[in-house]
Amino acid sequence: MSTSGFDLFDREKRLLEEGPSVFEQGSVTQLRDFSERLFERFRGVVRENEDLTKHSDRQERRLVKLNQNLKAQTKELDERKVALETLSRQLAKYLPPQIHEALFAGRYDTEVRTQRKRLTVFFSDIKDFTQTAESLQPETLTEYLNEYFSEMTRIALSFGATIDKYIGDAMMVFFGDPESRGEREDARACLSMALAMQDRLRELHAIWTSRGFQQPFVVRMGINTGYCNVGNFGSSERLSYTIVGGEVNVAARLESNADPGGLLISYETYALVRDLVDVEERQSVRMKGIARDIRTFAVLKRSKNSQDNDTVRLSDPAGVDISIDKSDLSAERKAELAVKLRHLAQQLEC
Amino acid sequence: MNDLIIESTDRTPAIRFIHQTLRLEIEGESYPEDVAAFYGQVIPTIEQWQRSDVTSLEVSINLIYINSSSMKALYRIFDVLDHGRASGKQVRVQWSYVEDDDVMQELGEDFRDRFPELAVDVKVTD
Repeated sequence: MSTSGFDLFDREKRLLEEGPSVFEQGSVTQLRDFSERLFERFRGVVRENEDLTKHSDRQERRLVKLNQNLKAQTKELDERKVALETLSRQLAKYLPPQIHEALFAGRYDTEVRTQRKRLTVFFSDIKDFTQTAESLQPETLTEYLNEYFSEMTRIALSFGATIDKYIGDAMMVFFGDPESRGEREDARACLSMALAMQDRLRELHAIWTSRGFQQPFVVRMGINTGYCNVGNFGSSERLSYTIVGGEVNVAARLESNADPGGLLISYETYALVRDLVDVEERQSVRMKGIARDIRTFAVLKRSKNSQDNDTVRLSDPAGVDISIDKSDLSAERKAELAVKLRHLAQQLEC
Repeated sequence: MNDLIIESTDRTPAIRFIHQTLRLEIEGESYPEDVAAFYGQVIPTIEQWQRSDVTSLEVSINLIYINSSSMKALYRIFDVLDHGRASGKQVRVQWSYVEDDDVMQELGEDFRDRFPELAVDVKVTD
């Protein structure tokens, strides 16, 4: 019985209720009348049940078919997902990770659009690459060059760099877009990256020499901080996420003026990292399109203060590159990190 | 006799019983949480029609899905219509189904076979 008082089985129930008294006290006429009504209703119920059963079977058949279709679609979707993941992984190698991540999360705007932003730009280049290349077999050169780029890229990404492009044997990297930790922190991350690259290059020199590479790569590096145009350049059909502007050229010029194996930075960068490194001022540079004299500073080494007190580092060829600036951390965060590192050490020993 | 107008929901069909046009329409999906409560609004109205002096009724049924309990209610509606027909009223039923919906087509044919005197016309929705 429903809340409305209506009952779909009211006719059947009425007959059931009526039955006992008719059987006990009813006359032959009443019994005949009751039997006829009971028979009529019974016939109706049998017909309804027959049709209900058929309908139920058809619904089941439809469900099975839908389920099969769903399974086939799920399988197809799974296959497409795998294909997309493979494509995504392959594409990731051609794109800055931040852009790749934003693209696949649907957060990236693929319009032709740029903005002016203060960035820290890094350039590196292998000294006398052409002569070095001529002295090696192409296969060997490829092997060392790939190893060099792999190692430098790994370090750059670990510091949050945006890798703009590889130009032959040169690398162009910047900090401050699409993600920025602020101009100062971006410049400091860039400098720390360059120093980590130099550390690793020293280790690679030893490894390469032991493998028979007589004149291992010597790398010049340059860093400048300034306003650049950053964003999607090109056309709506073909875009390139990159940076352009005079300050980018300054970074490239600093790199070409750096000592072999050295790092030359502009005053604009130096002002943001001066407590981290000891430097030596070099001759200022004048460049077309840049109104000011560009004061340049060769980075000699990490400053004692920075090394002893502010930054904790661990770099190992096994794939470890840790650089923690303690000056930015609260006591709680330091303790939290220490627990995590201890846990990592325990895992390493197991 | 009052008109009966019930709007459709995700689970229940739209039902319109308009006396002026002598037309009953049932349209949509039917799997109400309480079938008796839902069709309890409809069946008494049709029974009222059966007892009235009105001499005819055009019925249009266009269902996309119907569960077993609703089918029991629909049987009851057809029973009332058939009784109306037997008592001299003119009843025409049009059963429409979406193209390629074998289940609803076959169900319409079942009703046509069970109630041959009602002249149930089973056809694809326009």
